[in-house]
Amino acid sequence: MEELEKLKLELKSLNSEYAKIKEVPAEKRGEFGRELNAKKNAILERIKKAEEALLDADVVPLDITAPCSSNEPLPEVYSVFEGSEHPLMTELDRVTEIYQLMGFDVVESRQLDDEFHMFDSLNFAKEHPARDGYDTFRTEEGLIPPAHTSTMQHRVLKAYKHNLDEGKDIAVVVPGRVYRNEDVDATHEHTFYQCEGVFVSKDCTLGNMLGILREFFEKYYEQKLNIRTQPGYFPFTEPSLEFMIEKPKSLGGKKGDFLEMLGCGMIHPNVLKMAGIDPTKYHGFAWGGGIDRLVMLRYGLKDVRHFESGNLNFLKEF
Amino acid sequence: MLISLNWLKKCVKIPVSDEELIRLIGARLVEVEGVVDESHKYDGIKIVRVETAEKIEGTHLTLCMVNDGSAELTQVLCGAPNVHEGMLAAWIAPGATVPASVHEDAPFVIGTRKMLGKYDSHGMLAAPDELDLGDLHDGIAEIDPEMAKPGDKFADIFELDDKILEIENKSLTHRPDTFGLIGFAREVAGILGQKFEEPEVKAELETTGDIKIEVDENVCGRYTAVVLEKHGEIKKKYLSLQDTYLAKAGMRPIDPIVDATNYLMLLTGQPLHAFDYDKFVAVGGAKEPKIIVRLAKNGEKLTLLDGKDVELNENDIVITSNNVPVALAGAMGGASTMIDENTKNIILESATFSLYNLRKTQMAHGIFSEAITRFTKGQPAYQTLAVAGECAEMLKDGFKVAGVSDCYPKPEKTPAVEIATSEINNLLGTDYSNDLIKKTLTNVSFEVSGDANLKVVAPAWRTDIHIKEDITEEVGRLLGYDNIAPVLPKHGTATPSKLFKLKSFSRQTLKEFGANEVLTYSFVSERLLENAGLDTKNSYKIVNSISPELQLVRQSLIPSLLDKAHMNQKIPFDKFALFEMNKIYRKDWGMDEEDVPTEKMNIALVLAERKTTGDAYYKAKLFVEKYLAKLNIEATFKPLKTKTAEALPFEPKRSAEVWVGDRYLGVVGEFKTVVKRNFKLADYLAGFELDLLAILELESPKLVAKDFEIKDKQDLTVTSTKTYAEVLAEVKEKYPEAEISPVGIYQPEGKEEKNITFHLEFR
Repeated sequence: MEELEKLKLELKSLNSEYAKIKEVPAEKRGEFGRELNAKKNAILERIKKAEEALLDADVVPLDITAPCSSNEPLPEVYSVFEGSEHPLMTELDRVTEIYQLMGFDVVESRQLDDEFHMFDSLNFAKEHPARDGYDTFRTEEGLIPPAHTSTMQHRVLKAYKHNLDEGKDIAVVVPGRVYRNEDVDATHEHTFYQCEGVFVSKDCTLGNMLGILREFFEKYYEQKLNIRTQPGYFPFTEPSLEFMIEKPKSLGGKKGDFLEMLGCGMIHPNVLKMAGIDPTKYHGFAWGGGIDRLVMLRYGLKDVRHFESGNLNFLKEF
Repeated sequence: MLISLNWLKKCVKIPVSDEELIRLIGARLVEVEGVVDESHKYDGIKIVRVETAEKIEGTHLTLCMVNDGSAELTQVLCGAPNVHEGMLAAWIAPGATVPASVHEDAPFVIGTRKMLGKYDSHGMLAAPDELDLGDLHDGIAEIDPEMAKPGDKFADIFELDDKILEIENKSLTHRPDTFGLIGFAREVAGILGQKFEEPEVKAELETTGDIKIEVDENVCGRYTAVVLEKHGEIKKKYLSLQDTYLAKAGMRPIDPIVDATNYLMLLTGQPLHAFDYDKFVAVGGAKEPKIIVRLAKNGEKLTLLDGKDVELNENDIVITSNNVPVALAGAMGGASTMIDENTKNIILESATFSLYNLRKTQMAHGIFSEAITRFTKGQPAYQTLAVAGECAEMLKDGFKVAGVSDCYPKPEKTPAVEIATSEINNLLGTDYSNDLIKKTLTNVSFEVSGDANLKVVAPAWRTDIHIKEDITEEVGRLLGYDNIAPVLPKHGTATPSKLFKLKSFSRQTLKEFGANEVLTYSFVSERLLENAGLDTKNSYKIVNSISPELQLVRQSLIPSLLDKAHMNQKIPFDKFALFEMNKIYRKDWGMDEEDVPTEKMNIALVLAERKTTGDAYYKAKLFVEKYLAKLNIEATFKPLKTKTAEALPFEPKRSAEVWVGDRYLGVVGEFKTVVKRNFKLADYLAGFELDLLAILELESPKLVAKDFEIKDKQDLTVTSTKTYAEVLAEVKEKYPEAEISPVGIYQPEGKEEKNITFHLEFR
């Protein structure tokens, strides 16, 4: 307490020093002012610390090993009826379970990665304008919060390469959080979830890729679906496609109402090569698409911003 | 990019309906983001002849009688200075809408109105801007009497009953050729299964080499310069079809020279630029033009055509006149060599530049012109001379070719790719015949020889074709991926991921305990970390963040949960628990073996109630104990000493470290008073943050192979001043067979000792 009083007095006398600035020659006033400000900030900082220490001094310690305080009942957790799971996370569980039953291992994507995994290992030429299409964030060190789960492709190919040597296929899905530097509105978030898929074998085809994707979406939406594709461009696949499904009637869709669900294609030989896989012996396909949109369609949600809102009014619906 | 279907149809025969064509373009070339149907935009607009035109004294108006092909003349007042007897004009009849306003909220419908108190004016004679054909408004549009007669529909004469396709540029990043209408049309022929008729080059230029050109080969692949000498006037009197093509592509007709360069760019994809020859020579201070293309020096200055002064950097490519910068290559010309109405001679530039440099130029100077959009796709070099020749031909009424130089140090070659048709079918999963594959490729001007084993040479404009997979893509795409049968590969099931199972189990368990799972952003503000008592310097910092709120990569989940707790307490929710499982990063963890930041996955929970009494610590501790018990993990709670980031918001006197054996899991407890105050949260507040990957290693299935029958039970009260844990340990030692649970702790007023009561069960 005394300490604090003392500091407050010091501050008061310092404040009166400011009046002396008139006596200081004009050319030295700047320096004078800066010195005073530095002193003042130092005192303010010490006052803050002293005030916090004072607050902490009032804190009564607890027996941290006990189950409750003396003369108080044992605590209880809250009612199960109040609890909820996040819809994106439970749906992501469904997504990975469907893929797992189709033979895919599950690996979670990173949330902070580097230029090599985000671009170089995916056959993006250095400085290529295609890199601009991803609206990436960057840290001071040049690290990248990934803009797509494809940032894990190179790792997954390397980690599962032994499957090929053992005469098996590579089949992995990589769900994870991704980031794009874009303005947020009802249909755009700077933070969202994607799921990547990677399949490599001796004889897989683009037809197999379409087969797997159709199977996945039909299992996810629990009905037969019409599918459609359109050509796309990704440096890491060749050919590259966009995969679409016709919005199911049960979810308010009309005939001819096709929704882009993901980008996909046959893995570019350079990507395989970089991971140490011989593209003359093996080929593969990969895809990646947003989870948020999948879930919004399933629940009829109109605004993607709910997902990261943390608002209990929304969360308690799930 | 905007594509006019009518213009497209001039380049390729289209035997299918517009709807089918648009579907096929979407399925086999590029996403069509939108279709603007303009078929009714020009309804009610007719070609008329101005039969009489009398100036009304003291006004700028002219009283006109116009002939719209019907028996009677119609009276219209017109304010344009160029209205004159005998001219053909576009007349917007009463009841019709001004085309420029069609897409506005309140389209402007023309009527009949009384002007100057006595003249009825029926409809209006339209200027190009009102017709939505550019932004010229210095007079009404005059129409060539050789094109039309009074009464003709304006839309018929100018082919305006059209559909405009909005093309998604991104997926054509690798296809510079399709940024010209000819290239786009070639693809349309290909997807329709037709052989594309390549347009003839009408005027081939002979190079004379009398302009000196030096280029930095690394940034300028080819530079063609044509000197055009003025020998007459290009009189532009009439509205032309070319004007409508420019307008439909979103460009403005300006003057004959600029319009010719823009038109050719839209047609061929090759941007052109015209310099004033005499200004160019004068700037360079020599007698003859000397073109030097080089990288700019840092700090060099240039005033652009639009009057903007830019400071160049070493990535920018500049066109210089004898080393004095006169244009920012690929992006915009300079003011000092701009053509104007006094221009006598022109240097026409047709060149290609490094897309990598231009990409940086685009970003550094914020220039997003039609030209740079094309250059950043990597325009091929094969056609610079031919396109310059076309331009000279278009301007021949006013200019004649006085010199041609072509600097092309390393001619581009498209390599031959050898591929077996079986390789194509094996990758696609198709059964296409050799003939079909060959026809598909030759339709779009690939040279193909061989039968089952093909040798394929791509045309000069396909600089994106290098490897077998590129050929496979062409075949698959042009024949339609939708014609490939989806077939599931044979594959067994996989083993579920342990981490995903743990996360799934954890969320179900905490939900059972009445907690609510949230997702919060990975990026937080400095203020948020400071409010929670964390060191902001330990966070990776985003340099291009959307806002200060999202600038730092989070080191812990607790600050975000405290923030959301505040929001929910305000709504108001009186009591709740929020939890999240997510990844975190800290600078002091350094890099992992892959040389990327070490990452951890934590599970954290914050419980908050709007009350000021009670010790929230014990509730948070119960959450931890019950949660870990479900995973067969028994934790011990030790005094909080660690100063790692997750512990910083917690009050050491009312928090504990959570340990399992010698493994530190994290922290549970109440928060510092200042933290509660900073987050504006009610006193009853506690939480935990634990290392989920450590939990993954520690968890095990719970075995319940025990005798369920309880043989004996008793309650036991111990009076002591020791901690609960110490007393419990003593009881355990005395009754090693017993299952012990707490009943309550009673402390008589004014006494040091507590009475701790346990319930013991023996099986």
